[in-house]
Amino acid sequence: MSSHESTETSDGVSRRRFFGAGATVSAAGALAVGAAGGALVANSLHAEPAPSEPISERRYAFYDAHQAGIATPPQDHLVFMSFDLTTQSATELQLVLAKWSAAMAQMCAGEPVGNVEPAREQAVPVDTGEAMGMGPQGLTLTLGFGPSLFDQRFGLAKFKPKLLKDLPAMAGESLDPAYVGGDLCIQACAYDPQVAYHAVRNLARMARTQVKTRWTVLGFGRASAGANQSTPRNLMGFKDGTRNITTPEDLQEHVWVEDSDQSWMDGGSYLVARKIHMLIETWDADYIADQHAVFGRNKTEGAPLTGKQEHDTPDFKATGTDGKPVIPADSHIALAAHENNGGTKILRRGYNFTDGIDSVGRLDAGLFFLSFQKDPQQFISLQSKLGASDRLNEYIRHVGSALFAVPRGLPEAGKYFGQEFFS
Amino acid sequence: MSKSRSALRLPDPSATPRPKSGALRSAVITGLGTLTVLALAACGGNSGAATGTTGSSGDAAPVSNGAAQVKVTIQNVDGKAVCVLDHSSAPAGPVSFEVSNKDASGVSEVELLSDKRILGERENVIPGLKPSSFTVTLGGGSYQLYCPGSEPENTAFTVTGSAASAGNSVAEQLKAGTDGYAKYVDGQVDSLVGAVDELKAAIDSGDVNAAQLAYAKARPFYERIEPVAESFPDLDPALDLRIADVQPGTKWTGFHPIEKDIFEAKTITANTKALAAGLVGNIAKLKSLTAGLKYKAEELANGASGLLEEVQSSKITGEEEAYSHIDLVDFVANIEGSQQSFEYLKPALSKIDADLTNTISAKFDEVTKALDGYKDASAIGGYKIYDAALKASDAKKLTQLIQSLQAPLSKIAEKVATA
Repeated sequence: MSSHESTETSDGVSRRRFFGAGATVSAAGALAVGAAGGALVANSLHAEPAPSEPISERRYAFYDAHQAGIATPPQDHLVFMSFDLTTQSATELQLVLAKWSAAMAQMCAGEPVGNVEPAREQAVPVDTGEAMGMGPQGLTLTLGFGPSLFDQRFGLAKFKPKLLKDLPAMAGESLDPAYVGGDLCIQACAYDPQVAYHAVRNLARMARTQVKTRWTVLGFGRASAGANQSTPRNLMGFKDGTRNITTPEDLQEHVWVEDSDQSWMDGGSYLVARKIHMLIETWDADYIADQHAVFGRNKTEGAPLTGKQEHDTPDFKATGTDGKPVIPADSHIALAAHENNGGTKILRRGYNFTDGIDSVGRLDAGLFFLSFQKDPQQFISLQSKLGASDRLNEYIRHVGSALFAVPRGLPEAGKYFGQEFFS
Repeated sequence: MSKSRSALRLPDPSATPRPKSGALRSAVITGLGTLTVLALAACGGNSGAATGTTGSSGDAAPVSNGAAQVKVTIQNVDGKAVCVLDHSSAPAGPVSFEVSNKDASGVSEVELLSDKRILGERENVIPGLKPSSFTVTLGGGSYQLYCPGSEPENTAFTVTGSAASAGNSVAEQLKAGTDGYAKYVDGQVDSLVGAVDELKAAIDSGDVNAAQLAYAKARPFYERIEPVAESFPDLDPALDLRIADVQPGTKWTGFHPIEKDIFEAKTITANTKALAAGLVGNIAKLKSLTAGLKYKAEELANGASGLLEEVQSSKITGEEEAYSHIDLVDFVANIEGSQQSFEYLKPALSKIDADLTNTISAKFDEVTKALDGYKDASAIGGYKIYDAALKASDAKKLTQLIQSLQAPLSKIAEKVATA
C-alpha cells in the first residue's frame, strides 16, 4: 500500500499549497480512498471521517490504481466528449496523451492548466479561465481508447485488446452516425457543470491541431447511484438502477479487468456509452399502471411491484390473483436483473440529458447511459435481451453508441496514458 | 460576430467604442507609439531578479559537438515545480539546452531570455516524454532561463567571453520580414485599385455578367490584406459592411450593396453606378493610407490569426457573400493573406521555435491542399459556389481544419513581439 500512501501525502501537500490551511491531509486521504474502489475502499473503513467541507473543495486523487470516475460516487454533472485524431503521426498522438495526462492531473487538483492571464501582452492565455476560483468540485476525468485508435494509422494494432471492438448491431437501435464511435473519449464528472466543461474544453483546445471533436453530451442530472447515494430519477420519473454495483467485491468481479491479453488494461475497464432518446411526450401520456408495468417498480417509492421499499428484493416468481407474474417478465427490471442473466452485473453511471428540440419537433432528451464492465459482452448480453423484448422499448431509441477501453490509472506524476505504446 | 475582431489587434489605449464592422482604432498608425510601452509594462511580472537554483554554480558547461551542453531538469519537489540547470554558465558560442520534465505537470515550456527577449524555446516539455533540446548562439552576458509555472520562474545563466554582437540576427530577420510584408500590402492594394476600376467600368457599361466577374476578381485583393484595411476605422465600414451591420440612418456603401444589385437583383441602376464610383474613391483613400506604413512583427502575427478568425466567423457561415455565394473565394484569399504574413515571419520564427514553425508550415500545406479540392474553373471566382448543400456537407470539416491551424498560429505573436 505504500504507493497509495505516498499519493495521499502528496495530495495533502498540494491541497495546502492551493487551497490554504483549511484543507487537511486526512480529508484528502479519505477522499482518495473513496474514489479508488477495490482494496482501497476496504482501507477507508479505518480512515478518519472527512471533516465537513464545501463540496467545491471535494477532490479525488488523480494518480491511483484505477482511473477515477468509475467507482467514484457519481457527481451531479457530466460532460462527455468523443474525439477523432486528425494527425496520422504516432508521435503527435503520444504528445496529445502526455499533454492530456499532465493537464488532467492539474485540473482534477483544481488548478488551471497554465497561465490564465499571461504577463506578456501578445501571449494567448494557456488556460481559458472559466473555472478559476471554483475549486476542484470533485472533478474526475476518465480517458478511453476507441477501437479505431488501434487501426493502421499509428501502428498500435499489436496493443489492441481482443475484447475491444465495435459493439454489434442490436435490436432497438436507431443510431445517428453523428453520435457513434471515436478514437478517444473523455468523461468529465463534477459537482459543477462549468468545471466539467472547462476541463473538456481545455483538453480539446490544447490538442486542436491533432484531434477534432466528434460528438459531445452534457449530462445535467446523474441517473445512477453509487454506494451510500440515494437512487436518483430518470426523466421518466422513475428510479432505475437501484441494484447498481456498489461493493468492492462486485467491482472486482464485474468491473476491473484482470489478466487481459494487454497488460495496460489490467486494472482498467470497458466503457459503454449509449445515447438513449426518450419519447418523452408519448411517455407523459401513458397511464400509471402501464408505467409501473414497464419498469416493474412503482413511481413514488421506486419499490419493486412485489415489495414496499425501494431496496426490497424483487420477487420475479410472485403471481397475482390473475395468475400472471406481479412483475411482468418483459418489464425493465425483470429483464435486467442479474438473477435472470446468469449473475451478470454492470456498473451503471448514466446521466440525464437534453438537447432542445429534435428535427421532427419533439423534446430531444433522455438518458446518456454509461456503464463500466470488465468485458463488453456483459453489456451486449443484457442489451440484446432488453432490446428484443423490453416494454420500455416503446418509449426509447438508442441513437448513440460507442465502446472505449479505459486503461488503468496512472501510478504517479511523470507517467501518461498509453505510455506503453511508445516505449 | 463583429468583424472588428479580426483587425490587427494591438493594445487599444483609447478604448473608444468600436464601429460595428470597423477595426481597432489606430491599430496601425497611432498604435505603434504606445505598443512598446505597453509591452514593456506587461513583461514586468517576469522581470524580477533571476534567482534560480543551479546544480553547480559557476561551473561552465562542457563543450561537445561544437556547442556547450546544459541540462535543464524540471521536477516536482515537495509539491512545487522546480527548474534546475546543471551548469550556470557557458563560454560564448552555440549553447544547447537539453530539457526534461520528470513529473511537474504544471510546467510545459522553457525559454531562454535576454532581458525580456525570447532567444529560443522548447514547448511540449511534458512529464514522461523524452528530453528535447534547443540550441542558440550566445555572446557574453547575462541571460535567464524561464520556466513558467515553476518556482522560481527565472534562473540566471551567464555566458562568458566576447560580448554579443550589436546586430541581432532574429531582430534583423524580423525587420526584413515586416519590410517585405509592407511591400506585399502595397502590391495587393495596387492590384485592388486596378480591379475596382474594372468593376466600375463594367458597371458603367451596364453589363451585369461582366460586373459579376469583375466583382469576384476584386474581392481577393481586399480579403488578403483585410486586417490592414480594417485598421482604418472609417474606411473599412465604408468598404466592406454587410447589410446586417449597417447602423440605422447610415448609408450602406462598399462592395456588398453592389454585390446585392448585380447578383440578387441582377440589375444595374444609377445607384449601383454611384456605389461603384464611391468604391473607387475609397480604395484610392486606402492606397494613400497604406502607402509607406511600417508594421511590427506581432501585427503580422495577429493579422495572420485574425484572418483565420474571419474565415470562421463570416466565411464559413456564408454571411460574407450572401448574394454571390463566392465565400470560398474570400476564404482562400484570407488563408493566402494569413500564410503570407506567416511566411514573412518564418525565417526569424524558425530560429526561436523551429518545431512550431514546422507545425504551422505543415498545417498551411494541409489547408491549401484541402482548398484545392474546391477549385472549379467554371464557377465565378474559380471556386465552387458556397451554397446550402456545400455548407451542410463541408462546413464542419473546414472549420476543424482552420481551427487546427489557428491553434499553433495564435502562439507566434508573443514570440515575435519579444524577439
